[in-house]
Amino acid sequence: MSGSDAQPLLTLRDVEAGYGGQRVLRGVGFDVPAGQVVTLIGPNGHGKTTLLYCISGLVRPTRGEIRLDGQSIVGLPVDRIVERGIVHIPQGDMIFPDMSVLDNLLMGAYLDAAAATREERLHRVLSLLPRLAERRAQTASTLSGGERRMLAIGRGLMAGGRILLIDEPSLGLAPIVIDQIYQVIADLKAEGRTILLVEENASRVVELADRVHLLDNGEIVWEGPAAELAENDELLETYLGG
Amino acid sequence: MDTAIQIVVSGLTLGAMYAVSTIALSLVWGSLRMLNMAQGALLTAGGYAAYTAVVTLALPVWIGLPLAILVGAVIGALMYLLVVRYMLGRPGFETNVIIGTVGIALILENLVLRLYGAYPLQQPIGLPDGFQVGATWVPWQNVLILVVSILLMVVMSAFLERTRAGRAIRATAQHQRGAMLMGVPVGRVYIQVLMIGGALAAISGIMLSTITTLAPTMGYDPMLKAFIICVIAGLGNINGALFAAFALGLFEAAVQYFLGVRFGFPALLLLVIAALIWRPYGVFGRRKQARL
Amino acid sequence: MIAGLRSTARADWLTGLVLLAVAVALPFLFPSRYVVGQLTLFFIWATVVSQWNLVFGVAGIFSLAQMALFAIGGYVTGMLALYLDVSLWAGMFVGGIVAILLSLLIGLACLRLHGAYVALLTLAVAQVMYLLIITDTECFMKQGVTCINFTGGTRGLARFGDFGFRDWLPYSLVPLGTYFLALAVLAVATAFSIFIIRSPLGLAFQAMRDNPGYATARGISRFKYQLVVFAASAFFTGLAGAVYAGHFRVMGANVLYLSLLLFLLSMMVVGGIGRAWGPILGAGALMLIDEGLKELVEWRLAGLGLILVIFVVALPGGLAGALDGIRERFARRRTAEG
Repeated sequence: MSGSDAQPLLTLRDVEAGYGGQRVLRGVGFDVPAGQVVTLIGPNGHGKTTLLYCISGLVRPTRGEIRLDGQSIVGLPVDRIVERGIVHIPQGDMIFPDMSVLDNLLMGAYLDAAAATREERLHRVLSLLPRLAERRAQTASTLSGGERRMLAIGRGLMAGGRILLIDEPSLGLAPIVIDQIYQVIADLKAEGRTILLVEENASRVVELADRVHLLDNGEIVWEGPAAELAENDELLETYLGG
Repeated sequence: MDTAIQIVVSGLTLGAMYAVSTIALSLVWGSLRMLNMAQGALLTAGGYAAYTAVVTLALPVWIGLPLAILVGAVIGALMYLLVVRYMLGRPGFETNVIIGTVGIALILENLVLRLYGAYPLQQPIGLPDGFQVGATWVPWQNVLILVVSILLMVVMSAFLERTRAGRAIRATAQHQRGAMLMGVPVGRVYIQVLMIGGALAAISGIMLSTITTLAPTMGYDPMLKAFIICVIAGLGNINGALFAAFALGLFEAAVQYFLGVRFGFPALLLLVIAALIWRPYGVFGRRKQARL
Repeated sequence: MIAGLRSTARADWLTGLVLLAVAVALPFLFPSRYVVGQLTLFFIWATVVSQWNLVFGVAGIFSLAQMALFAIGGYVTGMLALYLDVSLWAGMFVGGIVAILLSLLIGLACLRLHGAYVALLTLAVAQVMYLLIITDTECFMKQGVTCINFTGGTRGLARFGDFGFRDWLPYSLVPLGTYFLALAVLAVATAFSIFIIRSPLGLAFQAMRDNPGYATARGISRFKYQLVVFAASAFFTGLAGAVYAGHFRVMGANVLYLSLLLFLLSMMVVGGIGRAWGPILGAGALMLIDEGLKELVEWRLAGLGLILVIFVVALPGGLAGALDGIRERFARRRTAEG
């Protein structure tokens, strides 16, 4: 399954990026092995979202390497990168507000590869996220915050894909809803999906992740197995307020 | 009663023609954030292309018309490939695209002038005869225009709602980055929308030329009216635009009947000014302006 | 940044003085009536474009009503002279003020609009003005045996006199009268527009353009500033209209033609939207190109269209932008070596 001797699915080396002259990422590098849940934590505004944008192609890194299965994806147009199997569930959801829940989900299966198994996938997603099934004909803009998050995730799952990039799934949600979302992510992990998860909330992450990277000021300042993080009180306090 | 029928007949015909060109404008604006100032020129090109096909090349109508519509689509594609493509992603896109499409419109108009001269031509396509309703004469051509328009609207609606490409267009309109993350190639959406817009404009031009005449500047007024309708409905709101198109057609027919043709347009303009002051985002529009 | 500003001000003054000197010398170097006339027209259009550039390019208002302001300046001046015997010199300023009033009305109407909606509303206003003029067929006053319409109608407003240069200057130098008047207006209008562009207000507008959320974040009443710029620029536009009226001694609805609007738009685009020296560069370039295109009468429209497309695709900063780019690269190399 997730052979540590096999080449990592996603590799980043020395990635630098910024906006309008301001450097946000200053040489970031790490691996995401297939079948594992790797998380990126750290204070907000320090580049986590930018990094995900770099991987999916919405932002072009000024320097560095990003490889999927050994092949470089830097500079490719977003749709090509998505075609290769990178599914980005973005911060803020980016759902299509005036389309129905069903149409949003169908958009998730836009790519040819996904379209073939669309019905099957739809069935699975709706059973994984029953609230969406209830509201399938509703316009997306009328959904609650938690439901929108579910929709964004469900839409991402419709694509299949080889690696899921999930940006702050707990952002702005009530604890109960966060539980539900993380349950879904746990289910995905159990299925063996490769996930790169970005979170500000370290405590949730620790239960789920295989490996944790701490991004501060655009650099990776710490990395290790999740268990180690849980024991490292100093780190937890300095960066994440316990 | 006869007055009413008269007005309804003219109004629906006008409305139908406006509706088709308005869908084109609204579609392009809604999904691409482009105010297509070449809309009028595309309309004109369609009308003249039909004339060329049927008169100059003596092709049968059922070949000539689709060819003319194809010309509209091709010009739309060229607009993207030669001009719009290079402006994507740059700051000030919306302004630059307005000016760029003005440039394209001037080139097209000049081409038409050179090829056909400034003298108005008679468009020979169209159904002859008509029927009597009370004291009003209803030409079959007007009925055809109405039927074709409604058909087009149904087809466009089905396309946007039910097909994968149509969904991609709507998604791009509502959230371009989100659509990109779904794997939608934005360049392809642009070319598709511009081709559809071009084809629709051409159809509307052909229809208009059967009722009036062919002239190189025939596209200006309909384009301005299409803008007015889109703005009143709220840019990007296709359903509202259709409603507004027919409403405006009837309004214009009524004003023309009671006050004379001269006052049709100014009355329309004053209506627009008033509407914009009252509802800054269009009568049916919303802040976000994406409604496909 | 402040040092940069100071050197920019110096550069602006220098450029302005050089251009002014050249402009003063030109009619004596090329004493042809035609050339002087064309240059006068160039000054008038450059004035209009410099103000339109402020409104459109700097303040970000998509107004297409510039020529309506121009027209009202000219018409008011002409009508005051025709009906109330007011000298064009005094009428000129009244024309400018009426233009301000009209711009305030338009501005308030555009209160909650933005982008394309503003374009449509302003276009509608200009079109209404045009229609009002050409449908004016009633006999307002009798001049001898002819009937004149209030606005002059389709024939245009005429016989309202001129600036009176014929009384002061020898016959051969009369065209120089309006030449220097137009130049003076252009000089003041340009100074005003560059002043705004380089001022904190101009920089604030720039910031708002680069970052649309800036204004709301800072609580800046963007609209208030836009209105001020709109009104102030209307004054000079109306003034230009008055000079036009006095120069040609006729004022017609042809100034409201879409083709003229597009011609001036081209000047703005080719010069560089929002750039300080763009209007003059653009107006100059287009007048020259137009002279050239006069040979190819049948392709004039396409030529203009092609220019617009090429500039918008390849040179979005216009000529001024290109020059700035060259200057920057030069400066960078100098600091690298020095």
